[in-house]
Amino acid sequence: MIKVKALLIFLFFVALPVWSAAETECGTLEKCDSFESNVHDRNSLQRGLGLYKNYCSSCHTLRYLRWNRLERDLDIPENILVEDLINNPQVKTSDFITFGLPEVSAIGAPDLTLRTRVRGEEWIYTYLRTFYEDSEQITGSNNLVYPGTAMLHVLGGLQGRQVLDQNGNLEKVGDGTMTTEEYDAAIGDLVTFLAYASEPARITREKNGIFVILFFIAFTAVMWLLNREYTKDIK
Amino acid sequence: MEKAKKNSFMSWLDKRLPVTENLERHLTKHPVPKKVNFFYIFGALLMVIFMVQVITGIWLMMFYTNTEEGAFASIEYIMRDVEYGWLMRYMHSTGASAFFFLMYFHMFRGLLYGSYQKPKELVWLFGCFLLFLLMAEGFLGYVLPWGQMSYWAANVILSLFGAIPFIGPDLQVWIQGDYVLSGATLSRFFALHVVVVPLLMIALVVFHIFALHEVGAGNPEGVDIEKHRDKNGMPLDGAPFHPYKTLSALPAIGIFFVIFFAIVFFAPEGGGYFLEKPNFEEADFLKTPEHIAPVWYYAPFYSILRAITFGIPFLGITSKFLGFIIFAGSIAILFIVPWLDRSNVQSIRYKGIYSKVAMILFAASFLTLGYLGTKPVNELRTLIAQICTLFYFLPLILMPIYTKYEKTLEVPDRL
Repeated sequence: MIKVKALLIFLFFVALPVWSAAETECGTLEKCDSFESNVHDRNSLQRGLGLYKNYCSSCHTLRYLRWNRLERDLDIPENILVEDLINNPQVKTSDFITFGLPEVSAIGAPDLTLRTRVRGEEWIYTYLRTFYEDSEQITGSNNLVYPGTAMLHVLGGLQGRQVLDQNGNLEKVGDGTMTTEEYDAAIGDLVTFLAYASEPARITREKNGIFVILFFIAFTAVMWLLNREYTKDIK
Repeated sequence: MEKAKKNSFMSWLDKRLPVTENLERHLTKHPVPKKVNFFYIFGALLMVIFMVQVITGIWLMMFYTNTEEGAFASIEYIMRDVEYGWLMRYMHSTGASAFFFLMYFHMFRGLLYGSYQKPKELVWLFGCFLLFLLMAEGFLGYVLPWGQMSYWAANVILSLFGAIPFIGPDLQVWIQGDYVLSGATLSRFFALHVVVVPLLMIALVVFHIFALHEVGAGNPEGVDIEKHRDKNGMPLDGAPFHPYKTLSALPAIGIFFVIFFAIVFFAPEGGGYFLEKPNFEEADFLKTPEHIAPVWYYAPFYSILRAITFGIPFLGITSKFLGFIIFAGSIAILFIVPWLDRSNVQSIRYKGIYSKVAMILFAASFLTLGYLGTKPVNELRTLIAQICTLFYFLPLILMPIYTKYEKTLEVPDRL
């Protein structure tokens, strides 16, 4: 019987991640670069928000996220939120982060609120780091993860110039304002922010879950003892 | 009954409503076997998860919008703006997976230990109806978030009705309430999901339990505990349901909730198997997802559906319709299991080698089909799915033969 239980527990906890890990195709890449966001790192979230605001927000909305949620979760003072981030007297802090852009912006840039949950964090992390120059594309750049992407490499100035070498690998040919490590860290911040935006409740969820689980462990222990007392009668 | 109690409120009540009588019959004096194993806990856990689904469902219903325009956004509203809305939603979505997980084990227990045999046929039948209703409920509920996978998976399933000869296309339009899957479909699915199917399920759960209490719960030995009784009429191998069984269920419920909440809090997407990634994108009828996969709990049946790549042309049966028939048959055949088993013993422990091999083949095929159902098709996978479909049906279809002729062991008299 113990074997059966062990097998069940094994199936539930081991087999599921193994199955999901089996599907790791990442565009033309075999596998996306590994990345795990830590939404409890407030500084990282704030840096990510800064990048989003400066580089993404002119095309991409966050239409399910409210400004004042950022104030609460990212610990942003109201004056900075109103003056520096919103910077528009017609927008209330309880409004969604849309900058007045239409639902589908004219150039077809998707809303980013749930994007990390659709694509996965690792996909976006890899996507934003694998742009390369390609004169055949209208935008002048192409991407390994999403070939033919319509998105401009707006972060090119930070990353520097990349081209494909003869083997199809990325090669850095010009420096940006950031080193490769700095750029990877910055994209990590951005993806962390987007992961947060896709599920703000994740902060509370991951913080408090352990208490619920501990409660039920204690509950199980007490009930087990109680049951043991009672079953003595019928043995 | 003691004198003091006769004057009490209960006595007043009992004269008007048989409360005590029924409490004793179904709880305090209902005898259940003393010794059962791990597999016998799933019934209690199913009751628990059913309650979880009803309660979280009521809360979700308070904030959900059942329109094409508002459904997707209302889910995000629940996830973000409703206090603990995310918890209700994750409990409900994880609960759906848990429900099926428990249900499959509960039914497998039934198959292993002959919990369907005379006189328990009705218990099994009600249970099969419950599986059918649960599948319907899960399907209807899955459409409600109105994500890409909601929309396209529903399209796949509804198009199956369209494959029925003659009446199919009209039937599909009648079910959809529109010529395409649309907001009209969404709002009727909402009504069915929150009212019709749950009501039927509650009724069937009551029937399931009443029927069970009429014939008595089984045990892994297949021993009839009613044969030997003490002087009070309580079976020697039995104990009153309350407090003994209720208390023994509580630690199990505790363990279940530890696992359940570990998923709810730390892996609510279940690696993309409980909440599928494409469903975080709003339904778009112009854009089909690359790979339409059902949620894991339908995967075995979906695999059977996809495995049928051939029709019967001279009868005018297309491969799609034949697939639908076999797919429906894979669930329908479970209903008649009580009449397929001709064995003189109940439990797999005392059945012959053929029954044991058959059960292993059946379980292995079911699991393999489940795995294949979540993957895109290719030739090899289709072939494996076809073989597994065969081995899903054969153990059941051949059951009348092998259970009748195989050599069984003698069942002990007592537990």
